[in-house]
Amino acid sequence: MAVNLGALAHKTWRTIASIQTGVVLLILVVILSAAGTIVLQRPATDPDEMQTAYSPHALQMLDALGLTDVFHAWWFLGLMLLVSICIVAASIDRFPNSWRFFSRPYKYPDESFRRASHPQKLLAIADEETGLVAAERALHSLGFKPERVVREDHFGIFAERHRISEMAVYIVHASLLLIFFGTIVDGIWGWRGFLNLNEGQTTNVVELRDGATRTLPFALRCDQAGQENYKDGTPKKWWSKLVVVEGGRDVLRKEIVVNDPLLYNGVRFYQSSYGQNGKVDKLMLTATPSSGSGERKEFGLAVNDTVSLDADTTVRFAEFFPDYAVRDGQVYRKSNELENPAVHLIVTSKAAAAKTRGTKAAGATTASRDFDVWFPPLDEVADNSKAPWQFQATDLKMQHFTGLQVSHEPGQWAVWSGVVLLGVGLAFVFYVVHMRFWAVPVCDRKTGKCLLWIGGSANRNRDAFEQKFNDLVALVGEELKTIPKTAPGEQVTAVVEH
Amino acid sequence: MARANTEQQQPATGTTLIVLVGLAIAFLLFMAFLNVVKSGNILNETNLLFATLIFYSGAGALYLGFGVTGTESYVKFASLATWLGLLANTAAVAHRWYEAGHAPFSSVYEMLLSFVWTLAVLTLVAEKKYGVKVIGTVTMPVAIVGVVLMQLLRTEVHPLVPALQSTWLHVHVTLAMLAYAACALSFALAMMFLLKDNLKTETVLAVTSASTLAIYASVVLTRFEKWGGLSLVAWDPERKAEVFLARGVRLFVTIPDLGWLMTLTLLVVASPLVFYGLARWKNNESYLTVANRAVFLSILLQVMALAMFLVRAGDGRYPSLDAEGLFPTSLAASPFILSGLVGGVFISLLYLLLVWRRPDLERLLPSTDDLDRLTYKTICLAFPLLTLMIASGAYWANQTWGSYWSWDPKETWAAITWLVYALYLHMRITRGWRGRRAAYFAIAGFAVVMFTFFGVTYLLPGLHAYA
Repeated sequence: MAVNLGALAHKTWRTIASIQTGVVLLILVVILSAAGTIVLQRPATDPDEMQTAYSPHALQMLDALGLTDVFHAWWFLGLMLLVSICIVAASIDRFPNSWRFFSRPYKYPDESFRRASHPQKLLAIADEETGLVAAERALHSLGFKPERVVREDHFGIFAERHRISEMAVYIVHASLLLIFFGTIVDGIWGWRGFLNLNEGQTTNVVELRDGATRTLPFALRCDQAGQENYKDGTPKKWWSKLVVVEGGRDVLRKEIVVNDPLLYNGVRFYQSSYGQNGKVDKLMLTATPSSGSGERKEFGLAVNDTVSLDADTTVRFAEFFPDYAVRDGQVYRKSNELENPAVHLIVTSKAAAAKTRGTKAAGATTASRDFDVWFPPLDEVADNSKAPWQFQATDLKMQHFTGLQVSHEPGQWAVWSGVVLLGVGLAFVFYVVHMRFWAVPVCDRKTGKCLLWIGGSANRNRDAFEQKFNDLVALVGEELKTIPKTAPGEQVTAVVEH
Repeated sequence: MARANTEQQQPATGTTLIVLVGLAIAFLLFMAFLNVVKSGNILNETNLLFATLIFYSGAGALYLGFGVTGTESYVKFASLATWLGLLANTAAVAHRWYEAGHAPFSSVYEMLLSFVWTLAVLTLVAEKKYGVKVIGTVTMPVAIVGVVLMQLLRTEVHPLVPALQSTWLHVHVTLAMLAYAACALSFALAMMFLLKDNLKTETVLAVTSASTLAIYASVVLTRFEKWGGLSLVAWDPERKAEVFLARGVRLFVTIPDLGWLMTLTLLVVASPLVFYGLARWKNNESYLTVANRAVFLSILLQVMALAMFLVRAGDGRYPSLDAEGLFPTSLAASPFILSGLVGGVFISLLYLLLVWRRPDLERLLPSTDDLDRLTYKTICLAFPLLTLMIASGAYWANQTWGSYWSWDPKETWAAITWLVYALYLHMRITRGWRGRRAAYFAIAGFAVVMFTFFGVTYLLPGLHAYA
């Protein structure tokens, strides 16, 4: 039974670590994420839009299958987990072999290796030492560091470059895992939300994507925000001057723009939009007395502000309509867009009240009369001309808010280091070649004739390597011509003893 | 050896085409020059692009001539024309950059400008460095279609919205262009591999017929209106923009009778596929001859459909089902139908070229081993570029929106592209996939790239609205 279990475990392991499993999983990822781009996704799409796009039945089914939120569905996350496990298993499975290859380089090619090796070349040499020296010099001039390999009964030259390239694929896999790890950390401990701040407002509450709120341990204040436009009116730049307030003190100030966020305590604030909230900051007015005598006045009013114009006249900013409509003598708010604004001022005058009532009323001193002043002067409701003061609206300053995205991504450092590592790993995988050269002198004991066997191997880009190999052989040939013949036997024995 | 053979079999017929193409280029340049003299402004983008188009077309014709006749001297002149076109193209890019004040990557028009430039550069590199001389036969027509498309798209310099003002944008898009151009090259090489690898001509027939069928089927299925009309997006010539009824709802006009013509063309382009099926089913080769004739007929009809489309969509006012009155449309309003139709004619012509000149074509190609290796090498180039493109895009998104990955369709499809090429590399390195299977994989990879580049922008909604 135990044996069977062992066999089963072994079989499972083989399955998980196999390339087939990896390929099947990756194809599944491809299909499912493609589905996620074709089916409309929640919460990015409005529920209304979802309902117009699909029939109720279809929508119910898509929801049940999780196809309306593929990338957060449990089965997609499970699949990613399986992919990670598969990468780990495949790496573990193949690692020992590669490590052996890496840690114990094959320095002396035996006869069977020499026979099968490609490319290879045999050069005639006078004796063993000449061949070795020539190979050493040639390798030196190609920038290698040749090494003499001396065993009990044989010797040769070995040179290599970029052995690390054999491990590059593990760097790539490790970096992918690091990226996955970072995204998982972000998925669990990270959050994203948004924050709209009016100029001068302070808050520490962030609204999250799912509608919940989150209270920060510090507060954020927006001192000023603005927009710069191109000549054609499209926005060029949005900026906000933000202040972090902690424990009642301003601890950090920064002017942020799009692409340049504020970072405090691991929370990032990004400029994402800028606009009007449909509320008036200040209405600028000039007023002149209807009688013609008296001073012209200029002042600004916020909604519900009251200003006295003279001893018995005041004006109050009663109502503001960003987009008005008039029906049956009533003014309505049509929308909150600043499309067609109307302003309602109420001018209260004691003098006017006294005038209309004449001398009749004894308590006239406390009575007053209201005039409705409208901009634009709406016929049905406005009595602009009757009012004791004539007004001109010179400017309407709207309140602006700055829209901030807020995010906390504790895992992003793992992601970025994974990305850098991935780049390095891929550079090694594709462009760093592990090259090995061997040179072994082979002498026939009977005839005394000697040949230098030169072989080489590269783990990729073999055609370019062959060129390099041919260069090496040519160089060795040249070196062989320049080396004076040494006495046979002497040096070789010396080497062996050494 | 191959070269010697070629020269023996093709005695000096070469000069005629060179002279003709040279004359055509000279004539067009002269006409352009007259225009320039009239307007008094030489270095504007339209002229530069026009020059680019002329030279690329000349290069395309010469490369095709080389493909057909195998005359070596064509290639010299073809690369000369490519160099000149590249020069004009570079000037256009530089001009655009100077005018806009940012690298030309922010709209489809600007992206195409850069893409065509990269493609021309890579073509010259492939030709000079790797000796793949026929590559221009495939890449130059693509470049020509790109330049023609550019003429139809909106060309005004748009100021960059705040989100796009980042160095990372330039890094991201440069990498994307390089990666996509490398993918396009690997696609061309894989196609050549299949040719050299004795892929049966009738298989190419089936694929050609199926692709043209797909083009016309998508046109007819989405645009055929009652009573045989073809509906196209209405175009406002003054604003140079599509007409919208409401936010996101375009106004469509119906061109009468054009729908019938498209349907007829659909049937004819489907017929080679039917005859191919019959040939396979009945095991009777004679059906293939019929199929080849049907391809010829389909080219005639396709050209007619294209011509009618050009004439009728380019001019005139048409009724709409959704609004009262007559509205104009424009070729610029339907760039994808237009490029589909042009592409259909182009691949059918390539097939004819193959039928007539297959032995010559094969002789001109490097060996299958070389092509296989080159395909692999270009993908080895494309894959790290894709990786860096995705990484830089993620970094930029993190700077701008506060999240490095939000599964928006473009992002997801970029990841899918990456995965497909990752699969290719794994199959090749660990499973030893070589030859045909690898070539099919490379072709599929490029199809995914094309979808990511065009399909996602126009078919799926997302953040990458600008590109």
